[in-house]
Amino acid sequence: MLTEQSIRAHLQQITYPHSRHDIVTLGLIREIAITGRAVVVHLRPSSASDDVLQYLTGRITSVLSSVSGVERVSVHGGRPRDTAGQPSPVAAPAKTPLPGVGKVIAVASGKGGVGKSTVAVNLALTLKLRGNRVGLLDADVYGPSIPLMMGTEATPRAGHDKKIHPVEQYGVSLISMGFFLDDQSPVVWRGPIVMGIIRQFLRDVIWGELDYLVVDLPPGTGDVALTLAQEIPLHGGVIVSTPQDVALLDVNRGIAMFRQVHVPVLGVIENMSYYLCPHCGEREDIFGHGGVEKTGLEVLGEIPLVEEIRTGSDAGKPIVTQHQEHPVSQVFQTIATRVMQLCETTSP
Amino acid sequence: MPNPALILPLMEDKLLRILWNDDRIDDYPFTYLRGWCPCATCQGHGGERHFVVANNPQLESVSMVGNYALSPRWGDGHETGIYTFEYLRSLSDQLQSEGAGPVKG
Repeated sequence: MLTEQSIRAHLQQITYPHSRHDIVTLGLIREIAITGRAVVVHLRPSSASDDVLQYLTGRITSVLSSVSGVERVSVHGGRPRDTAGQPSPVAAPAKTPLPGVGKVIAVASGKGGVGKSTVAVNLALTLKLRGNRVGLLDADVYGPSIPLMMGTEATPRAGHDKKIHPVEQYGVSLISMGFFLDDQSPVVWRGPIVMGIIRQFLRDVIWGELDYLVVDLPPGTGDVALTLAQEIPLHGGVIVSTPQDVALLDVNRGIAMFRQVHVPVLGVIENMSYYLCPHCGEREDIFGHGGVEKTGLEVLGEIPLVEEIRTGSDAGKPIVTQHQEHPVSQVFQTIATRVMQLCETTSP
Repeated sequence: MPNPALILPLMEDKLLRILWNDDRIDDYPFTYLRGWCPCATCQGHGGERHFVVANNPQLESVSMVGNYALSPRWGDGHETGIYTFEYLRSLSDQLQSEGAGPVKG
């Protein structure tokens, strides 16, 4: 015999996204109505976003459908029952978690030209090589080059429910502004339009279950990067820099940006750290070296300047997918290890 | 500073529940929350913050203020309180350390 109590007990196995608390203890269940073999679950109005509600509805339906004696399950509410179309009385905070998505890591740079996108791509791919499920969001609205670097001309599929399915490449789920832009037209973005598009990327993309989502932010610490860092629930930020002293000023800007929006800075990656001669293997510090140690941040890795990185990007075959024993790939392994360790202890 | 992951009014219990994204849960009885409203109408200008007794406040809605605060709207129309996340956390710490009920500033 189905009782409200027994249904509640089943629902206790469902936890709220990114929480260890279950939805019954949290108080999300307002009412359970049982008529014969049909169960209707009414949720209390809350700040839970539409995608979280959709996720919870899916979980509730799946859990209760497998209870013997239950033939029909429906879930209502989260929104006031008798005021269809009216907004919820509780506004949703911007940084609500993305259901199914684990740790979100932003890759930033204080200025352009330091190789940020290359780092983002190879970091995402290395995390994937380590057995994680990884997504990559190219939010560099000014120069979305990641599809090119990943060697894909595919476009995302739109589902019948207007949700967007990412492009799969090298086992990573990819969404980029570059998919939606014509190569030839210069892009002039106004703030609210950009933010609208980014929100859509976040909430309408079916990422599935991910362990990591790597976000390539626009270069610099201007309006768009800052707003993105506020809007997306980030577990950590990584700053890419080159060794020159002058680059340090830019790193400090990046640090200040993350601190302002309360995003933990995991560390800094020094790109073009030294030149590795392909013939004799000798190392030349052509841009100086070790400048990033002065930032006081942890140096997650020092990536040498080698031709294979550029040729890989140009050919759409990132270096870590082609030469795993290469010193550069080894550096990315070190970076990925450290990022994974640091993410265990941070919350957005 | 942690952010709210879920804001849930529990009307029958007359409290506002917040699940923070560091997984802490805080419950704010309406009388307590309203009593510590930080707005100038309730607190005046300057001086120590103090508890303002309100008669059975009804929570009507909660809005976000930027990405840093909440603003409740009460049944009597009072809506000028802006509660930063830091303030909300410290209110909860205060509530826990001193037991339920009004406390001095």
